[in-house]
Amino acid sequence: MSHIHIPDGVLPFWLWASGWIVALALVALAARVSRRADIRRKVPLLGVVAALMLVAMSSEIVPLAYHMNLTVIAGVLLGPWLAIIAAFIVDFILAMVGHGGVTVVGVNTVIISVEMILGWAVFRGLVGLLGRRRVRWSAGIATVLALATTTTLLVGVVALAGGGPATGRETGTLDPGTLRFGNPFSQGVYSINLLRGESARAPGPSQYLSVGRFAVVVYTLGSIGWVIEALVTSAILGYVARVRPNLVFAGAVAEARHEVLPGHHSEGRP
Amino acid sequence: MDIAVIDESATTGSSPLHRTSPVAKLLAFTCVLTGVIVNQNVLVVAGITLALASAVVAWRLPAKPIAALAFYPAFFAGIFALASAPDLLTGMLFVAKALTAALAALVLMFTTPYPQVFAPVQRIVPGIVGDAMLMTYRSFFLLAEKFQHLLTAVKLRSGFSRRDLLRTARGTTSALGGLLLYSFDLAQRDYDIMRLRGYEGRLRAKLPPATRPARDAAIVAAAVSLLTVALVFRVLWFALNPLSWLVPLLGAIALCAAAVYRWRS
Repeated sequence: MSHIHIPDGVLPFWLWASGWIVALALVALAARVSRRADIRRKVPLLGVVAALMLVAMSSEIVPLAYHMNLTVIAGVLLGPWLAIIAAFIVDFILAMVGHGGVTVVGVNTVIISVEMILGWAVFRGLVGLLGRRRVRWSAGIATVLALATTTTLLVGVVALAGGGPATGRETGTLDPGTLRFGNPFSQGVYSINLLRGESARAPGPSQYLSVGRFAVVVYTLGSIGWVIEALVTSAILGYVARVRPNLVFAGAVAEARHEVLPGHHSEGRP
Repeated sequence: MDIAVIDESATTGSSPLHRTSPVAKLLAFTCVLTGVIVNQNVLVVAGITLALASAVVAWRLPAKPIAALAFYPAFFAGIFALASAPDLLTGMLFVAKALTAALAALVLMFTTPYPQVFAPVQRIVPGIVGDAMLMTYRSFFLLAEKFQHLLTAVKLRSGFSRRDLLRTARGTTSALGGLLLYSFDLAQRDYDIMRLRGYEGRLRAKLPPATRPARDAAIVAAAVSLLTVALVFRVLWFALNPLSWLVPLLGAIALCAAAVYRWRS
């Protein structure tokens, strides 16, 4: 499912702030690990793979409310650490053009990172198990598994956001009465009876996000998306495996390191 | 979603907002976004949308692409609202929030070249992330153009057919595969250029100095006033909800005034 198209101000403050903290910690760790060697090689690679994901995400299949993501391909090519950085960059740029909220960039980064890393790990495992000849099957299965997992994560996020009275859409605004971050609407509803200005009512179950309905919609539409994404991913990785096998089986960084241009000596090779 | 049009407007536009300092615009964007996040009244959020729309109209920003791009997240928010909102009003609030936040982000991006938007971010994220961010944005336009060329080539070779979906899928996939291979050649070329230019792990994007502090202050003040309205309606909701219709009314008046200003000038 890749990333959530949830607007700003819908997820509770604690949830999106936690998402940002986890995402920034992951990105910092990934940057630290990635910096150890060959940074000049990695920056342009990261740039083009993230841009490729953006190109895929910039056209949606309207009836399904789905767009291609190419997350598993990017994960396979970049490996787990660079995948985390690519996920953050893609989410940040998408948020800056209004595609997904700025506050949900953290949660989205975590979800996309899981998708890319899981796709990479399952693909590697299956290639080891089934052999290089069945690269299409490996790619397809890895994609479906990764997308199914992140769709479940997405439903989990919505459940955390709207499932219980303690999180009833609290956005953490500063309460002037107590000078503490709290929810002035914890006693009632914020938009119901908007024009009449009636007194607050105790929040009932109907005022929270409908997790069950959301799960039904996401799994129904999402499963079609998984199949499309799996077919496209397996076709592309199968095509690239025939033309540039090292790119798929060794990863883009390793492949690029062994490429020697006329008149140049690449790093790692005398 | 056509991101290329954003870059063209940001670099070639000449509205007063284009000449405002990026720091002021980023501050203003943060204020508006905070207002959208904290406020839970659909009418107040709609008022902020109209205020932003009046800025687009008054300063002759490219309204059509901005509207198209702003409605894209609104569409997905609509799907989310249909799937999870407990009632119609809450669903409308979700869509209004998505539309307004997107509009604020788009006004910023349509009037500010991307290195200036990313420059403050570059200072707080690790070097590889900031540099890759700049490379991503730059590569996006090259890849988007190449993808269009590849699709045209597939079309010319009858790779697309309305009746034969399998052939169309194959054509699109081979275009994406070709794009992937092209992207690695592009990365290799970028790497060679960066080596030649002595790249050592940090691309520096500079922010231009403020030329008109008064205009910058006015933009920030306008955004702060929107944030104040959103906060006041959030905190004093019990007393102010019956008056919340005033906010979109003021927004609509501002939009009409902007349209008249644009028509007369």
